[in-house]
Amino acid sequence: MDTSGLNFILQAAFWVTVALTIAGASIAVFPRNILYNVLGLALALTGIAGFYLYLGSLFVAMMQLLIYVGAICIAIVFAIMLSRPLHIEVPPRPARKVWMGILASVVFFIGAVGVALKTKWQVAAGHVYEASKWSVQSIGDALLTRYELVFEVISLVLLVAIIGAVITAGFSRRLSS
Amino acid sequence: MNSLSTYLIISALLFSLGLLGILQRRNLIGMLISVELLLNAANLNFMAYNRFLVSDPVTGQVITLFVMGLAAAEAAIGLSIILALYRKMHSINIEAAQKMKG
Amino acid sequence: MGALFRDPVLLATVLGTNIPFFSMAVILIFTRSNPRLSSRISVGSIVVSAVSAISLLVKLFSAPALQYQTLWFCSGKLNIAFGYYLDPLSLLMLTIVGIVACLVQIYSLGYMAGDPGYSRYYAFQSLFAWAMMNMVIAGSMLQLFIFWEMVGLASYFLIGFYYEKWSASQAGKKAFVMNRVGDVGFFLGLILLLIGFGNLGIPELNHAAVTHGLPKGLVTLSALLIFCGVIGKSAQFPLLTWLPDAMEGPTPVSALLHSATMVAAGVYMFSRIFPFFSASPEAMQVALAIGTVTMLLSSTMAMVTYDLKQVWAYSTVSQLGYMVMALSAGGYFAGVFHLTTHAGFKALLFLCSGIFIHEFHTNDMRIIGKKGGRRLKIPMVCMTIGALALSGVPPFSGFFSKEAILTVLAAQPSKIWYAAGLFGAVLTAYYSFRLIFHILFPKDGIEEQHHHAEHGPDAHEHEEEHHGFAFRAMAIPVMFLAGVSVVLGFTEHGLEHFLMRLVPRAGEVSAHARSAAAVHGAVNATAAAAAHAQEPSGSLLMVLGISAGLLGITLAWFEYGRKGASRKGFLSHFPAVWKLFDLRWFLDILYRKGLDTFVYAGLTSLFVKNDRRIIDGGIDGICVFTEGSGRVFSFLQSGMLQFNLVLMVLVAGAAVLYFVI
Repeated sequence: MDTSGLNFILQAAFWVTVALTIAGASIAVFPRNILYNVLGLALALTGIAGFYLYLGSLFVAMMQLLIYVGAICIAIVFAIMLSRPLHIEVPPRPARKVWMGILASVVFFIGAVGVALKTKWQVAAGHVYEASKWSVQSIGDALLTRYELVFEVISLVLLVAIIGAVITAGFSRRLSS
Repeated sequence: MNSLSTYLIISALLFSLGLLGILQRRNLIGMLISVELLLNAANLNFMAYNRFLVSDPVTGQVITLFVMGLAAAEAAIGLSIILALYRKMHSINIEAAQKMKG
Repeated sequence: MGALFRDPVLLATVLGTNIPFFSMAVILIFTRSNPRLSSRISVGSIVVSAVSAISLLVKLFSAPALQYQTLWFCSGKLNIAFGYYLDPLSLLMLTIVGIVACLVQIYSLGYMAGDPGYSRYYAFQSLFAWAMMNMVIAGSMLQLFIFWEMVGLASYFLIGFYYEKWSASQAGKKAFVMNRVGDVGFFLGLILLLIGFGNLGIPELNHAAVTHGLPKGLVTLSALLIFCGVIGKSAQFPLLTWLPDAMEGPTPVSALLHSATMVAAGVYMFSRIFPFFSASPEAMQVALAIGTVTMLLSSTMAMVTYDLKQVWAYSTVSQLGYMVMALSAGGYFAGVFHLTTHAGFKALLFLCSGIFIHEFHTNDMRIIGKKGGRRLKIPMVCMTIGALALSGVPPFSGFFSKEAILTVLAAQPSKIWYAAGLFGAVLTAYYSFRLIFHILFPKDGIEEQHHHAEHGPDAHEHEEEHHGFAFRAMAIPVMFLAGVSVVLGFTEHGLEHFLMRLVPRAGEVSAHARSAAAVHGAVNATAAAAAHAQEPSGSLLMVLGISAGLLGITLAWFEYGRKGASRKGFLSHFPAVWKLFDLRWFLDILYRKGLDTFVYAGLTSLFVKNDRRIIDGGIDGICVFTEGSGRVFSFLQSGMLQFNLVLMVLVAGAAVLYFVI
């Protein structure tokens, strides 16, 4: 097997993924048209799923595609449809706001990168890159034994969120009709 | 792709873009989209640490899954709030929602 | 407390002097709405006080001076005592105060009848009686000062009795403030004494002064400062203008406070610490000068006024000047004797004037004369007796006391004081009889219309008024005092013996006895020497005195009394001089100007500015600051979510950068 060739392809694909992700994020942030933003988001999220693959977890990547791209982005499209912002003309953004935003982001970026690069990351004692530990079965085991409480709580959170969403949307309907 | 810092830088970049979106977009849904970007950047961070530093890699994946779930819940509620706000203000421009001024 | 009941003298003292306080309290708290009961309580209490005063006088007539003392407060080396000192002087004054207050309160039963503030009047009369009596028997200067102030307070209440009248309340204020101004000096003197001597007890003070136990400068300075209190209270120059204004009060009040007792308190205090004062000849000279100036100034003021009570007010100031002159020339007995006789005839004069005022509802002597003042026999006769006593005509009491004063003045090295005293006697007689003749022989006779209207339904009421209870209540004290004025003069030697027998005091150090005797002996020696050297000098003085009085009376008769007299007075030929006297030698104008420039424009405006700019400005500044800072920070509450987010991120990022870089 020509592992070096495979490696090269993998590297190239990795960088393509990076480019796609960042392009998607840019499309999600910069254009004015909200549909472009949603599509850009979908692209970015797909790219991140790719990253998850590179980081070794197929399951998480699948979940990412399922939840984020498949559910959330669609929900956002629905919201766009229901709120009809497409025909509204908005005045241009005040320049001060843009510059403040850019400043804040740049400051943050520099800070985060600085931390990331300056810290001497210590690998934990039992770190080993073993395939069996990355299986779905181990995740399932952990969810039902060690992280049982969190599992139940998050289902509760989801329940509350659904009820809250329904009620919030419902109230305003009563108010406006 | 084999070093931690790559992923960290990428996630920092994504987070900054998301931050930029939150701070300067006036469309509420646009802000929500940027929030999703933020959450994903954080998730990527977790997964990167999980891959390179942690002894038991299940932990990172479980965290990532939970964050995803919470993000979904948050998106749902956020969207319903946007809908309610839209019905009230007839606009999803965040600059129209300044009743808390002063 | 047991000691109180075992000792009858102490019991009589405490009871007699403090019963008016309880009467005042009862009236003010309980019987305000019941005037008759209030008056009975008050009169009853003053009768008890008067009786106890007389009984004390009788009992202790030959006894040595009695001192009761209890420690009041002590702080470090300072011990202030509270107690009573019953020596002949205080017993005499206590009797005077008791009797005159009793007579005036009985008189007020008639005079103040029907007045809406009847109960309040009697309450304050009781307050005054209590304060004055306690002041008289006070054993230490501090105690005396406290009751001195209380007396001033009672005076304020009583002068401003008709408080709805603007001039009355102003007069009350003026009296109180002028008194206070004098009392500042008084208190400073007391403090000086306390620092220098350490003890404020009266017998201790007198003893130490006489035995030369005090440094010279201390004595002079504190004597001068304490004399300021005398100036304020006894209306000496320059604080004399409050007394004529104090005539705004009811006439019995003028009779009691502002002739016989309260204003005499200053003179009384002077005589109380007479040995102390006499230890400083400089202070005595200053006092002599002030007394003379006062006496002459106020006599001139009395010559131009047509108000009945004002004449007697100026006369009181003038006679107080005489008393101060006498005391500061070394005549202890002369001053005290004049105090006694003056109390008698001045109260008499005021009470008689009160009857006129009550009858004719006016203070103007010309109108009273015109309306038939001389037809009221009892007040007219008694007032003439009083005026004769005031002018120093024998055989009335004033003659004896004035002679005593003139004798003392003649013994001074410089004869100018005696000359001033004589001149003052002329003026006194002049203005007194100017008033008497205005009423006795009014210009153009008495108006008759007034009486024609009295026939018919009003006549009966008029009759009742002349013979009813009110009339008797007013007439009896007046007649009593007239009798006293006739008789008192003849008790001169007895009183002198009574007052002076404790000098030298028995059982004291012989040096004290010698020096004390020396002080008085000096006076007596000079008089005796004068009497020996020029035997006719004593009788010459008497002749001079009598002729001065008669001269004044004749002058008044010439201008006012005889038929066809112009009734204008010789001063009307000098309008500038008339104006000078009328405006009280511009004293009031000076005070007004001084107040306006220094106090109101100066101090008051400073305080007002401070209040407005600094205090109010400070508080307003806090408000402005709070508001402003709120406005500054309110920009953070923009209502824009993204604004807050930006700030959050910036700050967090900056913190991170700080730690990274």
